[in-house]
Amino acid sequence: MSDQPLVQMVKISKSFGTVQALKDVDFDVRRQEVMGLVGDNGAGKSTLIKILTGVYPPDSGEIYFEGKKVKVSSPKDARDLGIETVYQDLALIPLMSISRNFFLGREPVKQFGPVRLLDKRKMDETVKEVLAEIGIRVRSPDEEVAILSGGERQSVAIGRAVYFGAKLLILDEPTSALSIRETHKVLDYILEAKGRGLSIVFITHNIYHVYSVADRFTILEHGSKVAEFSKGEVSAEEIIEIIRSGHQVATDNNGGKS
Amino acid sequence: MGKVTNQAGRGNTPPRLSLERFLTWLRRHPEFGAFAGTVVVFIGFSITATRFLTPDSFAGILTVAAELGIVAAGITFLMISGEFDLSVGSVLGVAAMIFALTVKAGWPVLGSWIVALLASASIGLINGLIVTKTGIPSFITTLGAMMFWRGILLAVTKGFPIQFFPKTMPPMFFALNGRFVGQFRTSALWFLGIVLLINLILVRTRYGNAVYATGGNRDAARVLGVTTDRVKLINFVISAVLAGLAGCIQFARFLSIDPTRGVGLELEAIAAAVIGGTLLTGGAGNLVGTLFGVLLVGMVRSGLVQSGAPAYWYQAFVGLIVVVAVIVNTRLRRWALG
Ligand SMILES: Nc1ncnc2c1ncn2[C@@H]1O[C@H](COP(=O)(O)OP(=O)(O)O)[C@@H](O)[C@H]1O
Ligand SMILES: [Mg+2]
Repeated sequence: MSDQPLVQMVKISKSFGTVQALKDVDFDVRRQEVMGLVGDNGAGKSTLIKILTGVYPPDSGEIYFEGKKVKVSSPKDARDLGIETVYQDLALIPLMSISRNFFLGREPVKQFGPVRLLDKRKMDETVKEVLAEIGIRVRSPDEEVAILSGGERQSVAIGRAVYFGAKLLILDEPTSALSIRETHKVLDYILEAKGRGLSIVFITHNIYHVYSVADRFTILEHGSKVAEFSKGEVSAEEIIEIIRSGHQVATDNNGGKS
Repeated sequence: MGKVTNQAGRGNTPPRLSLERFLTWLRRHPEFGAFAGTVVVFIGFSITATRFLTPDSFAGILTVAAELGIVAAGITFLMISGEFDLSVGSVLGVAAMIFALTVKAGWPVLGSWIVALLASASIGLINGLIVTKTGIPSFITTLGAMMFWRGILLAVTKGFPIQFFPKTMPPMFFALNGRFVGQFRTSALWFLGIVLLINLILVRTRYGNAVYATGGNRDAARVLGVTTDRVKLINFVISAVLAGLAGCIQFARFLSIDPTRGVGLELEAIAAAVIGGTLLTGGAGNLVGTLFGVLLVGMVRSGLVQSGAPAYWYQAFVGLIVVVAVIVNTRLRRWALG
């Protein structure tokens, strides 16, 4: 039971019109591991996880979560299963306050007769604690998210996933817009989330960012899985070489090989 | 509301200039600009217009502001969720006409009122369905609806007004827009109640959070589990129902309705919302701002007349206020975010 993967995606295919974004992709994530999902821009990484998180339905293929076959037809379904996603551009809503963002869709409420009103105090206090843990200093959880830097936003979104007891945390290019220092902060925070028992899918096309924290790697190329490795089996340079030559192989004879 | 603490995070927040702190507070409370504008214009007219500082004059302002404000409240709610409704003026006309015709035909007034509101809700629902199902921008969809329903209204009435002079005034008319103290009308109470209710929904409920999220970034809201289409649909209906309510309230005041009633109202309502700090692009705003926005517009309308200025100046003045308000709010926002 314990070596059964947390998530298994089997033979997933997806087309957008004439563009085949994914072809029979198998993908799995074990418990308490960091899975690096890598590949060049347009390889299909985001599409794969959007299928897992209910943003798109797959054309074909099956998804198993904790051994049970599941149908994820909306982002809410995914959240209910314990899958939290932090998208690069969609992590938080800039015009809203930090605490409203943090609890969006899961706000604590208090019953006043027939109406349920937000428990503002609980929201603010929780967010203050989480921000203190992450090391973000703001004057008030009422501040707009717009005042936070890119790295701070990613961290708040990760903190939110941990707070709500996610089992699987998916990060889509969390570091691609960040400074080096901020990237390290986010990477540290990913390891901390793993330490708390979460599994993590880390998507990036920057191999150096993911290499230091991932336990395994899945490499996508033009919508197909071309390789899967444990960290011990390859170096960062080898992964980069596979992604690079995958291009060449794909353009030379229309097929991938590792 | 604007509680500022120094306790977030570890260590001490560096001391801040109090002006800077005030401006930060201001950015989070754009309604303050409309409030300040209201005070300034109020003082101005108190000096220039001799009969401005009288109860009757205040009642006159409130009468104008309340009817506009009920429409603007719905528009604000919808705009925060990221959509427009240009059809509110026509919906107001349609609802008032249905109300007038059915009351005149001898229906119980309460029944007529409910039918008028249901008709408004249906128009809002159609607007919302077209926008959410086809993805056509609400600006276009509701521009079409505005012209369509106005056209129907003109065609059905052949352009003639409907009048209704009952021997005894139905109590429902008093409830909608009767004078309860001096020249003060119940429409002001409707308006105040609606402002408080919608603001409570926005600020203190889950639905309010979903509304801000939907307008702030629809895709982000969606992946975070907010059913954004449903939010928009509901807000289109609310916007239309409030426009319909304003139509019934107006009819209860004039006891007549001509088929051009409400023409141009949509722009006045949007202007009031924008003056109050609601973003045209959605995701920010509140009803307190809109409250001051409509008070400002109402004051300008009566104040100019009382100052002896020709009524034409009204539009020019409101136009000026809108542009100044948006410039100030945008500057403030950009400044505060560095
Ligand atoms: N919503 C969409 N509509 C049409 N094509 C899409 C859509 N999303 C992704 N694609 C296409 O699918 C392919 C894979 O995209 P994506 O999954 O975003 O790649 P990655 O995240 O690896 O950069 C690309 O060719 C992209 O243009
Ligand atoms: Mg991507």
